[in-house]
Amino acid sequence: MKQFLSLSLAAIVATSAIAAEKIVIKGSDTLGAKLVPMLAEDYKARNGDVAFEIAAEGSTTGISAIIDSTAQIGMSSRRAKPTESSAALAKGVTLKPTIVAFDGIGVIVNQGNGVSALTKRQVEQIFTGDITDWSQVGGTPGKISVYTRNTSSGTYSDFKELAMKKRDYAGSSQKMAGNEQIAAEVAKNPNGIGYVGLAYLHDPGIKTVAIDGALPTEESVQAKKYPYARPTFYYTNGEPSGEAAKFVEFTLSDEGQKTVRKVGFVPVRTVN
Amino acid sequence: MAETATTVRSTRLTTSEALLRRKRGWFFGLSGDRVAKVVFQGNAAISILVLALITFTIFRDAVGFVPMNRHNLEIYRLAGLEFTDHLRREVEDYSSFNRYLGAVRSDRLTQLQRAGLPIATAQAQLADFDAYANRVADAIAAHETVLGTLTETATSLKERQKVAQDTEHARADLENALPTATPEHAAELRRQIEKMVPEKINFRTEVQAMKDQLPELKTANVALATAISELAAHPPRLGDAALDARLTRFTELLRLFPAQLDAATKRMEAWDQLKPVSFAESLTAFAFGREWITASFWQDWYGILPLLFGSLLISTIALFIAIPLGLAAAIYVNQVARPVEQKFIKPTIEFVSAIPSVVLGFFGIAVLGESLRKLSQLPAFDWVPGFPFSERLNATTAACLLALMAVPTIFSLAEDAINNVPRSFKEASLALGSTRLQTIVHIIIPSALSGIMAAILLGLGRVIGETMVVLLCAGNRIQIPDFTAGLGTAFQPVHTMTGIIAQEMGEVVRGSLHYRALFMVGVVLFLISLLINWLAQKIVRRYRIAA
Repeated sequence: MKQFLSLSLAAIVATSAIAAEKIVIKGSDTLGAKLVPMLAEDYKARNGDVAFEIAAEGSTTGISAIIDSTAQIGMSSRRAKPTESSAALAKGVTLKPTIVAFDGIGVIVNQGNGVSALTKRQVEQIFTGDITDWSQVGGTPGKISVYTRNTSSGTYSDFKELAMKKRDYAGSSQKMAGNEQIAAEVAKNPNGIGYVGLAYLHDPGIKTVAIDGALPTEESVQAKKYPYARPTFYYTNGEPSGEAAKFVEFTLSDEGQKTVRKVGFVPVRTVN
Repeated sequence: MAETATTVRSTRLTTSEALLRRKRGWFFGLSGDRVAKVVFQGNAAISILVLALITFTIFRDAVGFVPMNRHNLEIYRLAGLEFTDHLRREVEDYSSFNRYLGAVRSDRLTQLQRAGLPIATAQAQLADFDAYANRVADAIAAHETVLGTLTETATSLKERQKVAQDTEHARADLENALPTATPEHAAELRRQIEKMVPEKINFRTEVQAMKDQLPELKTANVALATAISELAAHPPRLGDAALDARLTRFTELLRLFPAQLDAATKRMEAWDQLKPVSFAESLTAFAFGREWITASFWQDWYGILPLLFGSLLISTIALFIAIPLGLAAAIYVNQVARPVEQKFIKPTIEFVSAIPSVVLGFFGIAVLGESLRKLSQLPAFDWVPGFPFSERLNATTAACLLALMAVPTIFSLAEDAINNVPRSFKEASLALGSTRLQTIVHIIIPSALSGIMAAILLGLGRVIGETMVVLLCAGNRIQIPDFTAGLGTAFQPVHTMTGIIAQEMGEVVRGSLHYRALFMVGVVLFLISLLINWLAQKIVRRYRIAA
């Protein structure tokens, strides 16, 4: 159905007088909420009549969109799993990752919380439910409320890998649809804890926790000092072509990487 | 027909006759009336056909779940994940001892702070207790090491199996593409196929390495039993009668643990790796599964109970609020209100159902949830069960809004039912000298009871199928609500069947196990709705009072 729609749309567009190029980008909420739309705006300002269709619903969607050929670029905040690569291969699609930015996952607590530093072990224990009370990590007594992303988000499985030794989340964790929702709930809940991408650390009412003494900053991420940092990717079917290739190139250019920094991610290389 | 047509001019015909009568004015060989009839018939048929198609597709996608989940469970057993989980459950059980001590500690800390000690001093006072708690936590370390080894072996085995399976799939796909390919493309395909050699895994030998850990585990069991008897003999004392009693209880529980651990070890020895999984097992894992875990590095579980209980909890609270409101309003409007009031109340209540549920959801997050939470934090309300709570998104927040959505349904239908009570009943009752209140309570409500029951059931149907509000306001915690909290259960976050479909359906791979599990949830919802509607119809038919 979607293919039929896009085909018919392509037919309509092709026959219309204004032959506008269209780039379809799907995937990660981390990249798709702020960074990619901003890059798209800048790109349009330079190249005129390019239409973008951006849908940010989670990394899994991004990779499966490339496998099903329903998008030219799939945004992902994790590497493709072996199962995804082979599913792609079966369909004659080769998944090609391009690192476009680094992202740190910041652990956030309520502004009024006395805890401002945790060890990696404590974070693991809190999110897996071994520790259930703030007094066990030196805070004021109160039952910890854990907020996580929903299961399809790349951040969800990344955090499992980076911070929880691949263990499962506590049954009592609450699944939120996006970074914004986690920040909003933690800001309202004095006993809340959650994790968000670097871009969301400055939301009102929350504060970032230092992990093993390191705060997520550009320096600590590039120096690999901050434990919860990860690359973020564009996935394409083999080498990108046409307008999509130009957009990937633009993302990696100095100008694109400056936007990366502006949004709160860490550039892939040092940019002045 | 034709000869009667002239005589029957004065009397009315039935609709079907009127439609069938021949008239002048041909349209493709049909008279205008016939065209109308065909259009009506066609539309009715299309609706039924579409409904049948929808039902069919839902069931078709759901049915595949059973064999797929069976395969999932077979791998769980073959790759030794089940074996590992016997030990994992014990280690997790043991961690509840740490939580128990943590709870005692935080209560003691609160006590000391209330007594006016500064926090640093209070923490220092608890140093002995902390040392004891650490000894308790460390006693299980050897088991955790064994568990770690088992976990690593099992996950890598499972992953290898997955990769082998995928390679096989990919190979088959490429082989299927061979006959239609151009010569040079075929050569390329053959090169690719040669690269793809799926690994043949011998699960028995691989898992033997895991079973070889058993002696080590038994040694650890003996060491743990010694450590526990030592720890249970000398619990720390906090100098508070209630807390010390809890610590004594703690030592009793701790003493029970070694026997439980030995039983688990026996189960591990008796574990049969090659026992087949039946279809029934696969289905019960869904119908009675207590966990819904997806995208796990370990094992995905699709058990519907947490979601079912979440839906039921929310619906119960919502009906608890909506039934009195809807019924009282219906009785008042129909029996007591003046015409002016009727003209105002009826449209107002019915207008509520015109509010889009998304808007209600936002209202729930921003206003209702927040104010409920603030209210619960007030010291004056400490006596309410479940107060104070800190999550603004919970079952009650969602249920309040759903109640608001169910009120118009219950109100309109109940009002109709009351309206259908024959006038003679009311008049007879009043003529016998009963008051209006007596008439309402003893005559009108019992006579309209079947209609009222149907109204309530349809209100329940409205609530259980609502998605947007529960997705936004229920808190999305996938866990069976903790009913030990009594009435306080109402303030726990829950996840619902509709919510899980909305949250995960857009993001699963088509045709995967997870995708089919969501369709199974859809089928359960479908069956529940069907049951509710069937019950409502049955009740109305069975208890209708002949006028």
